[in-house]
Amino acid sequence: MDTVFFLLLCVGIVTGLFTRGGEAVLASLIGGAQTAVTNCVSMAGAYLFWMGLMGVVRASGLTGALSHLLRPVLRWLFRDAGGAKEAITMNLASNMLGLGNAATPYGLEAMRIMEAENPRPGVATDSMCVLLAVNASCLELFPATLIALRQSFGSAHPAAVVMPVLLSSACSTLLTVALCRLCIRS
Amino acid sequence: MSNMIPVGIVLLLFYALLRRVKVFSAFLSGAEDGLPMLKKLLPCLAAMLVAISVFRDSGALTFLTDRLAPLCERLGIDACLLPLILLRPLSGSASVALLSDLFRSFGPDSVIGLTGSVLLGASESILYALALYFGSVGIRKTRFAIPLSVAATMASIGFGLLFSKLFFE
Repeated sequence: MDTVFFLLLCVGIVTGLFTRGGEAVLASLIGGAQTAVTNCVSMAGAYLFWMGLMGVVRASGLTGALSHLLRPVLRWLFRDAGGAKEAITMNLASNMLGLGNAATPYGLEAMRIMEAENPRPGVATDSMCVLLAVNASCLELFPATLIALRQSFGSAHPAAVVMPVLLSSACSTLLTVALCRLCIRS
Repeated sequence: MSNMIPVGIVLLLFYALLRRVKVFSAFLSGAEDGLPMLKKLLPCLAAMLVAISVFRDSGALTFLTDRLAPLCERLGIDACLLPLILLRPLSGSASVALLSDLFRSFGPDSVIGLTGSVLLGASESILYALALYFGSVGIRKTRFAIPLSVAATMASIGFGLLFSKLFFE
């Protein structure tokens, strides 16, 4: 992550100095930080809402049922996830329904629990890496947000993309899961 | 379709009622769990968005797009889709903005609009998620997470382009 951050920042600043001058570079740096604050504030609302809802889901015993359903998959992919299985289940379920905003809080919650149980703090566990990889390939059964966006631009067939999205995300998820297994073993 | 989530929430509330769950205090305890995370989130978001915004505004992204355009033409990818492909792993909101641009210029039901939709739907802003997830708990050594996530993203984009070609052309 350090490398990515360094590269983006350095290349961006140096190019910006040549193309647009120091003042514009500074403006876009500060602008980025300001977007972070706006994003964080607007995310805070969604975050508290979904986490609160998860409290209700947990109290009614639904996550237990859902993780039970997903248990074979979870045990196979997230062997050292421990108490984070519940949050991982919710993260994967929200992702599959195309609710990116709901998936993030559950993902972060899962990371928090896994790090608390981590025998080597600061070093990613197998389950953490798998969680991110599976999030990257992003199996999507129903891209809710995307369809809403297409609708808002007056598409005649907003749902025309459901099949190709499903197929391509299924293929890449299968590939990713296979790669994950290889990495866990080695 | 947009009614699904609110309806789901109502169903959940009734189910909780049936199981005699104290809904209000359950909600509070869940939301409370979210608070410490929010505090850790902000610095991490700031770092990532600063880097992304300066990279995009400086023209480095456009420079990269222009260099890669000939290669894309040879692979049969429309060069209009390149900024979306490059920015997709970095930022969700920026790629939604780019897709909206494509919708405005070509229409959501054009081949470009449809392919762009599939690319957005089939992949994830993973570099952003990596920074956020690992940053929020202070993981320094990420082991195989980054190479694996990048491979997954490339697979998503590749399959997305492939299936768009099969379906829409």
